Amino acid sequence: MQLLVSQLLNGVGLGMIYFLVAVGLTLIFGVMRFVNFAHGVFYLLGAYGVLTLSEHGANFFVAVVGSIALVMIFALVLERGVLSRVYELPPFFHILSTFGVTLMVEEAVRTFWTAAPHRVPTPPGFRGLATLGPFFYPNYRLVVIAIAMVCAVALWVFLERTRYGATIRAGAEHRETVRLLGIDVARLFSFNFVLGAGLAALAGALVSPIRGVDPNMGLEALAIAFVVCVVGGLGSFRGALVAALLVGIMQSLATSLWGSGASLVAYLVMMLVLLVKPQGLFAGPGRSTS
Amino acid sequence: MTRIALSRRTLLRSAAAVSIGSLASPAILRSALAAEPDVPICGAWEMTAPGIANTAALCDRGSRLAVETLAKPLGITCSYSTIDTEGDPGKGVRKVAEQINQRGGKFFVGGASSAVALAVSKEVSKSGGIYVTTGGADELTGTECAKSTFRWPVATYGAVEGTVRPLRERLPAAKRWFTITPKYVFGDALLSNTQRVLAETGAEHVGNAYHGLAEREFSGYLTDALAAKPDVLCLHSFSGQTIDVLRQAAEFGLKDKMTILVVWSAGLDQYRAMGAELLDGVYVGAQYWHGVDAPVNRELVTLFRKTFNSPPTYSEVSGYMLARLIMEGAAKAKSNDPAKMIAAMEGLRYEGPTGSEEIRPFDHQCIKDYYLLRGKAPKAMADADDFLEVLASIRAFQDRDKAGCTAI
Repeated sequence: MQLLVSQLLNGVGLGMIYFLVAVGLTLIFGVMRFVNFAHGVFYLLGAYGVLTLSEHGANFFVAVVGSIALVMIFALVLERGVLSRVYELPPFFHILSTFGVTLMVEEAVRTFWTAAPHRVPTPPGFRGLATLGPFFYPNYRLVVIAIAMVCAVALWVFLERTRYGATIRAGAEHRETVRLLGIDVARLFSFNFVLGAGLAALAGALVSPIRGVDPNMGLEALAIAFVVCVVGGLGSFRGALVAALLVGIMQSLATSLWGSGASLVAYLVMMLVLLVKPQGLFAGPGRSTS
Repeated sequence: MTRIALSRRTLLRSAAAVSIGSLASPAILRSALAAEPDVPICGAWEMTAPGIANTAALCDRGSRLAVETLAKPLGITCSYSTIDTEGDPGKGVRKVAEQINQRGGKFFVGGASSAVALAVSKEVSKSGGIYVTTGGADELTGTECAKSTFRWPVATYGAVEGTVRPLRERLPAAKRWFTITPKYVFGDALLSNTQRVLAETGAEHVGNAYHGLAEREFSGYLTDALAAKPDVLCLHSFSGQTIDVLRQAAEFGLKDKMTILVVWSAGLDQYRAMGAELLDGVYVGAQYWHGVDAPVNRELVTLFRKTFNSPPTYSEVSGYMLARLIMEGAAKAKSNDPAKMIAAMEGLRYEGPTGSEEIRPFDHQCIKDYYLLRGKAPKAMADADDFLEVLASIRAFQDRDKAGCTAI
């Protein structure tokens, strides 16, 4: 029983990290119908940003905020300077251009920081374990879960309870109508893209003390983000949350039953969903964000 | 203006002379004129394989440095090129075959991944070349041995004998062992050896958690380990995964609850990535440590400090030694004929970075030390790279009849 509860807790922790990575991707696709293979780059740069700022003496959480800000600026430049020029082209060009960006950024990271893995120390106030009876869990992971949950709620409130959020949802369902209503769709796209990049950067920054930092982490995150989006339904906020938790918990439970195949569980879940409900668990006809 | 014209004319004359000379001299005459055997070495490394690319890059750097610094003293000419196996045995074999068939490649080093090393070993063997590998799986110089394949590092058998057995002797009360193992040929070899030593020493193997090669999140496996309540957590992971699993083990408080042993560490670069605080009190098995007091090691440390402004890592020294062994073979044979070089390398004795080393003629395994080390407290470190203290150095190799090598 203790093992099961511990694994469930691990799964929730893992799932919330997956959610942070995937929600940005799903928002970008939902509104822009843009398949962003460069999404893992923001996760990667978020982690390296924290590494660099921490090494220069910044407090960990200041480094997280600073890193997210830098990544969002990079995302804005990338979106305005490069990606906005291929929006109207067929999806093949989206994939080609964003994958090219991924390769270039990864090589730049290898050049500037080397291919060696780096460590980011756990912030001093959050080391050690929190215990509750027979159960215990690392303090820092609880902080990550809490931050991810706060982000999820804040994002939901933003999308569901604000005018700009309503515009984004409308853009996801009827882009042309939104354009005809006089809304600046280019600005909407930029905002959405930068928001998604910021969330991925937050995930990379938060996860850096847990799994370290290395140049391959972006592609790993991208793969799992796509799995979550496909399972939850591309463009669905709720789908991203539920799918991320589902995949995280399934993976965590699988480590006790089939350890060497645990990393495959996410893909098995995706295959099953594709067979039963190809549009994803929560994607309605109009790909509602809620 | 005049200078440019003269340079161009001189250049054209030189080029013409070289071309005419090349055409006029038959190949045999040319090689006779070049008294030194020419040994072009190709490094087949996992340059872009996730998890081990960094290790492979360091190995490659070591091999290149050996070629640059040893050819002249050994009286041979040597060049070095690199191909990327991508950590994929199929791709590795294809690229090595291209080198052999299209460029006449004969001399190969590489194999940071055992799976790639086993595949490349067979390919080089078919072509009659020489392959010196750093792969760890016992099979490379055991049941899958080949006349053309040599190995410098200690195999998984020796790594387990050099760590698990001495640790059992040091901590006799620590009888319950849990292992975390990557699911591939290298991990399985470490696991089977660990199970054997534990059984022989009266310890209990209370469980094993297999993980995939792409795994980066080990909380689930560590939870399984905690549930088994072991005295020792024995890690068989390699390279980047070792760092992740150890970091997360500390995060989950396992360092305070049990002894941790990393059977096969990747060396200084890995210790730097882990940091002194994480390594403090952790037992580590290592093929090489820059603090070992051996004459050749002191020279190597000086060379690497001068070249790279840092003491050498295991991966760099391993790459260096693989290339050196091929070059020693050519120098001793005074030939670049692989058959003569293999004969010269069999039984070769030399001073290496771990002291006196030799290559066993019957399986082509290098006999050298394997180290059991323990992480120092950060305050006890003499310098930024003084992470570990050497507790034991052991030479443990399977006897000829048990090694299982019948192809040599």
